[in-house]
Amino acid sequence: MTAMSALSTNMRQNRGLYGAVILLSIIYLIYNILHPRGFSSAVLIQNANESVAIVFVAMAQTIPVLLGGLDLSVGAVMTLAACIASVLVNGSPLQIVFGMVVTLAAGTAFGLCNGLIVVYGRIQPIIATLATGAIAIGLALFIRPKPGGDIDGDLNWALTNSLWDFVETYGLFDPDAPWFAPVAWIPVPLLIILVFGVCVWLPFRRTVLGRTIYAIGSAEGAAFMSGLPINRAKVAAFTLGGFFASCGGLYLAIQTASGNADITQAGAYTLNSIAAVVLGGTSLLGGMGGAIGSLIGALILRVISFYFRILSIDPLLQPLVEGIVLLAAVSLGAFRVLRVKNRLELFR
Amino acid sequence: MKTMSVTLLVAAGILASTSLTLAGPEVVSGPGADPSCFAPWNADTKYLQWPAQDGPYRIAVVNGFVGNTWRIQMIKTAKAFAEDPAIKDKIAEFKVVSTGTDAPAQLGAIEDFINQGFDAIVTIAVSPDGFDRVIRLADRENVVLVPFDNVLDTDAVMQVNEDQTEMGRQWAQFIIDELAAQGKTGGKILEVRGLAGNSVDRDRSAAIHETFDATGGDWEIVEVVGNWDDGTAQKVTADAIAVHGQFDAIAVQGGTTGAVQALMDAGHPMVPIAGESENGFRKLVAEHADDGLKGISIGQSPGLVAIAMKAAVSALEGNVMPQLISVPLPVATYDELEDGLNYWSDLPDNFFTVNEFPPCGVNISGPAIMAQSEADVN
Repeated sequence: MTAMSALSTNMRQNRGLYGAVILLSIIYLIYNILHPRGFSSAVLIQNANESVAIVFVAMAQTIPVLLGGLDLSVGAVMTLAACIASVLVNGSPLQIVFGMVVTLAAGTAFGLCNGLIVVYGRIQPIIATLATGAIAIGLALFIRPKPGGDIDGDLNWALTNSLWDFVETYGLFDPDAPWFAPVAWIPVPLLIILVFGVCVWLPFRRTVLGRTIYAIGSAEGAAFMSGLPINRAKVAAFTLGGFFASCGGLYLAIQTASGNADITQAGAYTLNSIAAVVLGGTSLLGGMGGAIGSLIGALILRVISFYFRILSIDPLLQPLVEGIVLLAAVSLGAFRVLRVKNRLELFR
Repeated sequence: MKTMSVTLLVAAGILASTSLTLAGPEVVSGPGADPSCFAPWNADTKYLQWPAQDGPYRIAVVNGFVGNTWRIQMIKTAKAFAEDPAIKDKIAEFKVVSTGTDAPAQLGAIEDFINQGFDAIVTIAVSPDGFDRVIRLADRENVVLVPFDNVLDTDAVMQVNEDQTEMGRQWAQFIIDELAAQGKTGGKILEVRGLAGNSVDRDRSAAIHETFDATGGDWEIVEVVGNWDDGTAQKVTADAIAVHGQFDAIAVQGGTTGAVQALMDAGHPMVPIAGESENGFRKLVAEHADDGLKGISIGQSPGLVAIAMKAAVSALEGNVMPQLISVPLPVATYDELEDGLNYWSDLPDNFFTVNEFPPCGVNISGPAIMAQSEADVN
């Protein structure tokens, strides 16, 4: 494959991602123009806060989807992690850090179990995770039969605000220092997404395991014949999914300063994560796309709902409008499928 | 251009962050304004007062789950009440959004409306916890946040609800009195409960049991779970009748129409029944009361939203308000039912009959609500 065709393959495979970025930029720009306090730090903070959980869950969903599977347990793992965090994340700073580590470890371990069941139990991911998702909700209900918990209030305030508030809450240094001013407005949740999401996903994608996941999604037989570590890659995919889902759960718990084993909410997050994955340009057939696309897709999903608060649309028509907009957005990505003469072209 | 917008953002960020002078309501001593409508929960209820603001006000309703009749009727009631002459002039802008069962989305919507400069936000909380941040922001901006129906476990905001314990007590007392009139001081009662783990279900059920226990009679209470849903209630009632044979009376938390249907399908004799305020239940009681289906109907009204809106406006006008407002229970017994007044034979079974609260000037009748078009884009 020449350099040129490699580039063009890259372009073609990432067309969904670029399209999603453009779509997000346009609708977010218009939202800010229409909002009475658009382009302000307060609006950005609010938007970021609302998006963190779904962004992480969408990223968690992406990795099994790249394999060509679906993970129906992501919302449940998020809920489980939130319930664990609501018990553990309080006390001294050391205890808080310990609670966070345990929360993330529990979610990651749950993802690992998913992977082991799928690989060594030889069960289709969609069925295996349907069952393990129910187990996760069961555990969550066991840990927190009634909503509640006492997550550290300072932590809640510091992590759901701008860097300025973060520094001010913990008295790290003078938050009004001139050198700090250019970055003081940045919302902490936005940084959390970037640090935990991008800095984990992008390096992982470049490893042999990461590339193997794509290879499995494209053609599992070919990947096997090429001697790629298929089983390890599958286990790694679900494990990383569990990690991202627990990141979402941890933030959800901190954001609400409590845990709630809400079954309906877990289901809604799982379904929305699949929508976000598709919006972000990842193929449900596997092998094409990436977690960054899903990050963008989740943001698109959220921004669509932001519009209902600034436009006057009949409340009972809002779900209908949301569905139509979502369908239109997903269809944009599918247009090229209608144009191709041979479906094989899509996989070249 | 870019540096300018960054500078603006920085300025806005610092502005937003430094105005952390906590405002919000002041705790004052009662009595509050209009006590016949805004009744304090009990003698210990504290009173809150916000600084008076000039109207008209911008009010938002942030609903969570949407998709059952109660919620749809609640939204229609909110829209109808916003157009009511009593309050229309005091409202400059009125918005309703439903976020689904998604805590971050509901919190985000509330925060967004605070950012947009709305004066009051009425909400049914998706979770009794987790609102610390928005309460803090609302206090900072002097926004009145009013949870109702599913209220929060906090005394930092003004809330509106019906007393679920009192509802359970009245249901049980009605059954006890009806059975006493038949000469019974004990017997077998079927209790159809609501959604498990919910505080409303817990409070209603506990009150029912306490009231029966207090009589000292020989009561056997059989509990089944009907999830406040007609279909489920019908199924579990049918099962219970199949297993236990005959009951002396039935208490249903919700899905009463289904429970009565199961009773009739099984050929079970008509017995005293305590239930919610579904139109179908009231129709059946009105029709069969003479056969022995003597019923009491007490409802958690979708009209609570109107009282929450009215309370929000009253708070914005600077009136002293109870922190927890107890809305009087709308009670109708079998001998008080009248077609076109407290039930409607031409409206669907799953319509909730109780919408009017005369002491509050909330007088939106059932047909008026159903006439609210779902299609108009305001």
